[in-house]
Amino acid sequence: MAQRVQLFHTCLVNEIDPDVGMAVVRVLERIGFEVDVPAGQTCCGQPAFNAGFHDDARTVARHTIELLDRTSGPIVVPSGSCGDMLVHQYPHLFDGEPPMREKAARVAARCREFSQFVAETAPDAIGGTLEAAIAYHPSCHLLRGLGVREQPLAAIARVAGATSVPVREQEECCGFGGLFSVKNADISSAMLDRKLTAIEASGADRVVSCDLGCLMHIGGGLHRRGSRVRTQHLAQFLDEAQSR
Amino acid sequence: MSDARARILARVRAAQRTGFVPIAQPFRAADTEAGLKACATDELLARFLRELTAIGVEPFVEPTAEGVRARVAQLVGDSAVLRWDADCLPYGAGDRLAHAADGASPRDVQAAAVFGVTGCDAAIAETGSLALITGRGKPRAASLLPPTHIAIVRPDQLRQTMGEFFRERAAELAVAANCTFVTGPSRTADIELTLTLGVHGPGRVVVIIGPEE
Amino acid sequence: MSDAAPAGFSARAEQAIADARLQGALDNVTALFGSRRAAAFASLPNADAVRDAARAARLNAVAHLGEYLERFEAKLQGNGARVHWAETPAEANAIIVKIAKDTGCARAVKSKSMVSEETHLNAALEAVGVTPVETDLGEYIVQLANDRPSHIIAPIIHLTRQDVGRVMEQRLRVPYTDDTQRLCATARTRLRGEFLRADMGISGANFGVVDTGTIVLVTNEGNGRMVTTMPRVHVVLMGIEKLVETLADLDACLKVLARSGTGQQLTVYTTMVSGPRRPGDADGPDELHVVLLDNGRSRILAGETAEILGCIRCGACLNVCPVYRNIGGHAYGDTYPGPVGAVVTPGLRGLEPWRDLPHASSLCGACREVCPVRLDIPRMLLALRRDVADARLQPQSLALAMRAFAWTASRPAFYRAASRVMRAWLRVRAHDGWITALPGLARGWTQSRDFRAPAAKTFQERWQERAR
Repeated sequence: MAQRVQLFHTCLVNEIDPDVGMAVVRVLERIGFEVDVPAGQTCCGQPAFNAGFHDDARTVARHTIELLDRTSGPIVVPSGSCGDMLVHQYPHLFDGEPPMREKAARVAARCREFSQFVAETAPDAIGGTLEAAIAYHPSCHLLRGLGVREQPLAAIARVAGATSVPVREQEECCGFGGLFSVKNADISSAMLDRKLTAIEASGADRVVSCDLGCLMHIGGGLHRRGSRVRTQHLAQFLDEAQSR
Repeated sequence: MSDARARILARVRAAQRTGFVPIAQPFRAADTEAGLKACATDELLARFLRELTAIGVEPFVEPTAEGVRARVAQLVGDSAVLRWDADCLPYGAGDRLAHAADGASPRDVQAAAVFGVTGCDAAIAETGSLALITGRGKPRAASLLPPTHIAIVRPDQLRQTMGEFFRERAAELAVAANCTFVTGPSRTADIELTLTLGVHGPGRVVVIIGPEE
Repeated sequence: MSDAAPAGFSARAEQAIADARLQGALDNVTALFGSRRAAAFASLPNADAVRDAARAARLNAVAHLGEYLERFEAKLQGNGARVHWAETPAEANAIIVKIAKDTGCARAVKSKSMVSEETHLNAALEAVGVTPVETDLGEYIVQLANDRPSHIIAPIIHLTRQDVGRVMEQRLRVPYTDDTQRLCATARTRLRGEFLRADMGISGANFGVVDTGTIVLVTNEGNGRMVTTMPRVHVVLMGIEKLVETLADLDACLKVLARSGTGQQLTVYTTMVSGPRRPGDADGPDELHVVLLDNGRSRILAGETAEILGCIRCGACLNVCPVYRNIGGHAYGDTYPGPVGAVVTPGLRGLEPWRDLPHASSLCGACREVCPVRLDIPRMLLALRRDVADARLQPQSLALAMRAFAWTASRPAFYRAASRVMRAWLRVRAHDGWITALPGLARGWTQSRDFRAPAAKTFQERWQERAR
């Protein structure tokens, strides 16, 4: 019998780009997993947490923890920032509530970001063909929060015809930062500008990342510039390569 | 003033009860020199010379005491010198500098010196540093005011690391007015990150290593 | 130049971003120091263990600060130094002014001290006719130009050599030149005279060693040595948090400080002062005074950001921060810029006026990654953001929006309904799947980006369809 995994789809995937969610499902199913989507998902609560409204974040987190704790098995999260929130911040949010803290820790231990999960369980099951020059953008919470550095690059490398091109200051923050992108729009835009210039200079056809927030920010900027470079979540990229 | 002291310490002590300091207790000093192998003098010397060169110090190795004295004489010529007391300089280097300024000279005479000649209290191989501890006959000005500083080092003064020096000389350091580590010539890059040597301290540092005695 | 108004952060940031020359200078300094730091750590044996040791050294001292301050004071006094305590900047300045009066000091020279920027010591001394001459080259230029330093390690990175040439021409009445060697030579000659004539030398301290009662200064130019050797009175102004317990602790910190700041193994001069000159010493000051300043440090110590007191002021976080890279040091508005400044300034000066600083970060974590003592700055920024919200310093509209978000996001049916409305509202504004102008708070997004219109169906809706 195939192993079941739970998909925590995230609010951005749900509302803005459901294709990413469908791609994650297809990639996992091709590997041989069965995907469940627990009902009633809304958001991990990070926007409130990052803005300093911890009580509000806890309200949302409680809801999310309870619905995930009713399930079992690995929880796949197609986002570095939501992944980091669930894994690192959730337990601390409930430092003052030991029973909830315990649940949060239990859920945290089951969570894996998408590329991390694939690398851990079936790195060789990734493949396919897609000719493209890829600028991989490591989102900050994925890279420095969860410590996921090589896994997405390894996955891209398994796609025949795909080349990861180096990007100047590749690991530097793109400037999204959630609400930072509107609250500190000037600074966010300046940071984006550097990133876009570096991406365009790299010769890449597409930007691939594991975080939809970064992709919306980078993609929105590329579109504004009239660039032909497109953005894609890693799952969509792998799905496309496997479908050919 | 003692009111301020009492209030500050009271606040600090109260704060220590509530503040979040993420450190494991009990605190255990990590071994930062794990794997450091003891070095023979010639290895230490080789390392010291490499580091000196890397930081822009001119090294000389003289196989005899007379060689050291001759080297000093050759370097200073008949320019004005400010030196440590003769009995604080190794290899009798003070003998040829009998009329040089020293710690007892008036400040304007000291400031007119072109060369400063000192010994050292230790030489740190890992970093190319000279350790200079204050004391009788060892004016700080000699390694600070003149544009060129000549330091005479005995091989037995070589130590591998600063940590070793600290372990050995802790008691002395606790009572000496000043211990200064000199690691190369004075420098700045404050203007447009462009390097300039000799902004306040000596712009040229020479180290003469003599024979084992 | 007076303190920048804290509330002007956004305006200062915007101005800095538009300043092309500043942008170029910031690129240079951050790239250069960043690459040198990386190389210096790559060549440090046991680098991880050394960083752990430096962190432990500093945080252990912060955790035992009360006991260590008393021991430190006792050792210094045993060596003939006088120790003074100041709760506020005004008190610290008054103490130093009194020392100058009591010792008949008319001329003072200063080596770099950020704490003296905190207290505006120079103005207090000028008011009683003792003008302290800054001797760190960058600080000397800042003083001549009546400017402010913009980086912890490279204070005049925002000035070109032409700027420096003009400042020297105007203020020192020397012929104009933009030749760096000549500019430095002028400074050397002028300051040499000041060093030799000064009665009082004022310095900061990089570290205080508790076991031996030692003040440690790290410098490259030699002005630190001059200031602590030539004048007959030496005054040290230091924050109470700068302690390490043992010489081994000091060693660990010295192994990482210069590497992190400039990429050197060690700075040219590491000066350890344990007292005034001893009987028989050839030179050195007759008197050593150490002024210990609180100014909000004990308040920081009491809270969740106590860890920031472990900072060793290397500047590495500035060099790696993409926000600092774009806005420079002046935008932070106070003594300490960059990631460390964003945590420490609200602590030292008050949360309310400086509530913008903890938000001036995308929480990318690059600072934590390079910090030689592994300070978790993002954690502390988040804690401060929480304090700002708890103190009701956020706009009420935002607080209400967050409350509404929490209420809705814990009730899936309501969440789905709200989402339907939001998506419909966005899709109506889209052309070819993109929105180019958003109103209200979201206006900041479309300032520089287009916004992808959301899909017609949510993932959950498509998932349910798939299941049928």
